[in-house]
Amino acid sequence: MDDFIEQFLVEARELVVQATEDLLALEQDPGQAERLDSAFRAFHTLKGAAGIVDFDAMGRVLHAGEDLLAAVRAGGETLTPAATGRLLACLDQVVQWLDAMQASGDVPEGADAAADAVLARFEAGREQGFPNTGAANDDWVAQLVAEHVGIAGAAATALRYTPQPDSFFRGEDPLARIEALPGVAAVSLGPRSSWAALEAFDPFTCQIVITALSTAPVAEVRAALHDLGAQVDLEELRPAVLQGPGRGGLSAEAVAVLREQMAMLGQSQAEDVGGRIGSAAAVSINVLRHAGLGEAQARLEAALERSREEADPGMLVAAIRAELDGPLETAPEPSDQSASVPQDLQAQTLRVDVEKIDAVVRLAGELIVLKNALGHTTGLALEGTAPADVAARLKEQHALLERLAGELQRSMLEIRVLPMRHVFQRFPRLVRDMSVKLDKPINLVVEGDATEADKAVVESLFEPLLHVLRNALDHGVEPAALRAERRKPAVATIRLNAAREGETVVIRVEDDGGGVDVARVRQVAEARGVATAEALAAMSDEEAVDLIFAPGFSTAQTVTSLSGRGVGMDAVRSAVERLGGRVRIGSRAGQGTIVRFVLPFTVMITRVMTVEAGGQVFGIPFEAVRETVRFPRERIIAIGAAKAFVLRNRTIPVVDLARTLDLPASQDEPADAILVVASLGDGVGAVEVERLGERMVVMLKPVEGLLAGMPGIGGTTLLGDGRVMLVLDLEELLR
Amino acid sequence: MSVRATDHGTIEMEGSCGAEDAEALLRHLLSLPGAVVDWRLCDRAHTAVIQVLLASKAQTLGPPRGEWLQRFIDDTMKASATRP
Repeated sequence: MDDFIEQFLVEARELVVQATEDLLALEQDPGQAERLDSAFRAFHTLKGAAGIVDFDAMGRVLHAGEDLLAAVRAGGETLTPAATGRLLACLDQVVQWLDAMQASGDVPEGADAAADAVLARFEAGREQGFPNTGAANDDWVAQLVAEHVGIAGAAATALRYTPQPDSFFRGEDPLARIEALPGVAAVSLGPRSSWAALEAFDPFTCQIVITALSTAPVAEVRAALHDLGAQVDLEELRPAVLQGPGRGGLSAEAVAVLREQMAMLGQSQAEDVGGRIGSAAAVSINVLRHAGLGEAQARLEAALERSREEADPGMLVAAIRAELDGPLETAPEPSDQSASVPQDLQAQTLRVDVEKIDAVVRLAGELIVLKNALGHTTGLALEGTAPADVAARLKEQHALLERLAGELQRSMLEIRVLPMRHVFQRFPRLVRDMSVKLDKPINLVVEGDATEADKAVVESLFEPLLHVLRNALDHGVEPAALRAERRKPAVATIRLNAAREGETVVIRVEDDGGGVDVARVRQVAEARGVATAEALAAMSDEEAVDLIFAPGFSTAQTVTSLSGRGVGMDAVRSAVERLGGRVRIGSRAGQGTIVRFVLPFTVMITRVMTVEAGGQVFGIPFEAVRETVRFPRERIIAIGAAKAFVLRNRTIPVVDLARTLDLPASQDEPADAILVVASLGDGVGAVEVERLGERMVVMLKPVEGLLAGMPGIGGTTLLGDGRVMLVLDLEELLR
Repeated sequence: MSVRATDHGTIEMEGSCGAEDAEALLRHLLSLPGAVVDWRLCDRAHTAVIQVLLASKAQTLGPPRGEWLQRFIDDTMKASATRP
C-alpha cells in the first residue's frame, strides 16, 4: 500500500476515535465547549485529509457533519440525540470506507452512493425540523444568491471556500485566489463560526469563509481551485443540472427566486412564521406556474397546506428543494452489525514512545560491545591463556549478557504493551447504541483505561467485554418500571474498570441492576442438563451463579437481538482462559452484578515451577499453583477409577502425572506423595509428581508441530542446557 | 508600514497591506476603540487584514483605491460595520 494512504488511514482512524469520544462526551454534557471544538477540529481535519487523498465522497459526508457542528458552535443549534446520531452515522460510514481502503489500498468504489445515503439522513433530519445547520451554514448557496439577487441570474457557479486555519502560515492569501478566478461576479465574506471578541482575536489564524458567484462554468472554477481540495465547495447554478422529468424549463432567474424563498424560510425562527410561509409559497407557486410546471405547482401547494398546519417552514423548504434538486432518497438505517460492532480490532501499526525505542537501540549497542569482548576472550583462550583467567572473564561477560538479555526482553515487552483505552474507547459508543435500542438509559463509567497490558491480551478482550457489557444492559439492568419500584436511579450505571495488580491486569464490569436470579439459574441449569439436580442441591449460591459460564446456558427469558442465543458466557470464559486468564461473576440480588476478569500482563512471559515426573522435567504455570504438600500415601483414597485426598476438610482429586502422560513410573514409592495443588477454573485439583524443582521465568512458546495436538500441554520453553521443557496446562490435564 | 494610527484618532491603510499588517491593525483597533479605518489609499489587502477589519466591525472610510477591493469587498465591509 501507498505510504501516503497508510499514513492517512492511521490518522483518520485516530480522528474518528477522537470525534466519537467528543460527541459522546457532549451528549453527556452539552456545555463542554472544548469538546465541541475538538469534535469540530476532528471533522474538519478528517475532511482535509480526505481531500488530500482525493476522496470526494468522504469529504462531502464530513462536510455535512462539520457544518452541523459549526452551527452548534455558533450557538444557532443544539446537539440533540438525533443530530448526534447523524454525526455518528457519518463517522460509521467513514470507518467502513477506511476498512475498505485498508483492504484494497485505494479509494473504494461506490462511495458516492454511500455518501449520498448519509447526506440524505442529514437532509431528512433537517426536513423533519430537527436542528439543522441554519441558513448561514447550510443553504449557503441560497443565502449567497439572496444576497446578490441582481447578479445571481447571470452566475453559473457558486463557490464556498473555507481556507484551513493555518493558511496564513503557509503563505496563502485566500482572497487573492478568489481575485484570480475567472468571471467573479460577487463575493461575500463571513466568519467560519462567529468572530471572536477583538481582545481574544488571533490575527494569524484564518477564520474567514469566502463565498462567491462566478459567471464561469463550474469545471473552469474547479480547475482553477483544484489544489484546494475539500476546502472548496462548488455548486452549479444553471438549470441544466436541475432538469429531471417534469422539472425542465426553470430559468436561472426562476431558480434564483426559488432559492431566495428557501433562504428566507430558513432564517432564524423569527415571529410570524405563518406570514413567511404564506409569502414564500405564493412567490414560489407563481414561479412554477409561470414556468408551466403544473405538477410541481400542485406538489408545492400540498406542502404549503402541511407547513401552514404545523407552522413549520421545513416542509415547504423541502418541497422547494425537491423541485430544484429532485426528490431525496431516504436512507436505510444502517444495519445493526455494521453500525454497532467494529470488526477489525487488530492494531496494524503500533505507536511506540520514542524513549522505548531508544532504550532498545542503546541495548543493541551494549550487546555489540559485549560481542567484541567475547571475541577477545575467545582469542585469549586460543592463545593458551590460563583457563582460570579465561573463565573469570567469561563469568563476568556472562553476567553482563544476562543483564542485557533481561533488559532487552523487558524493553521489547514494553513496546508490545497497549493501554486498555485501545479497547475501552469503543464501548461508550456501543453502549450508547444498545442503550437506545433497549430503551434503558445507561451511564457508562470507564476507569483505568490507561492501564497497560500486552497487545495480544488487550486486543483479545474486546469481544468478551462487549459480551459482558451486553449482558449487563440486557439482563442486568432492570426495565424502567422495575427500577422505579426498587427506588433506584432511572439512569443505570455500568462501571468498566481496569487496574494493574502485580503481574496481572484486573478488569471489572459492574452494574447496579437486579443481579443474577440464582433460583432461576438453578432451574435453567437443571432443565438444560448443565448440572444434575443433586449436584445443584450441593452447590452454594456462588457456585450456582458460576454456572452461567457453562456451555449451553442462557437465562434470558426472551432472546433479544442483543445478547444472542446460546453462545453466551461460556464463550467469554473460554476466550479469557485462552489468554491464560480467569473470569468470575459475583452477584447480589437486587443490587447488581460484577464480572471480574484477571488476565496476565503479558502472554509471553510466564512464571513456572518445574517438577519432575517419569524422569522428565515439566513446568507448571506458577499462577495456577496454590500450594505444594507432602501427603501420606495411605491417606490418598480411591474413588472409583480416580483418586482423591482430603485437605483441610476439602476433597481434592489427584492424578499421577507420570501415569497420565504415559511415562514410566518411578520404581520406589516413597511413603509421602508430593502433590502440587492447583486452582482450576472452578475448583481445585492436584497432581502427584516425583520431585519439585525450581521457580523460573520463561518465555512461553505456543505448541507447534508434532506436539500441537497433544492434550494437557500449554506451551514449550527452552531450558539452559538446550532441552525443551513442556509447560503443562493443568486444567486440561485434570479434566 | 502600510497601516498606521494618525494623530487625529483614525487608522489609515495605504498601498498594499500584507499579512504582517494584520497584527498591527489589530493592535491599533484595540488601542483606539471605535476608530474609523480610512482605507481610501489602500490598493490591496491580504485576507488576514480583511479578516481583522471584519471581526472588529470597525467603520471604514472608503472606497478603497484598489479596484477589486472597491468592487467586491467594500460593500461587505460597510455592511459589517456596526459602529456609526
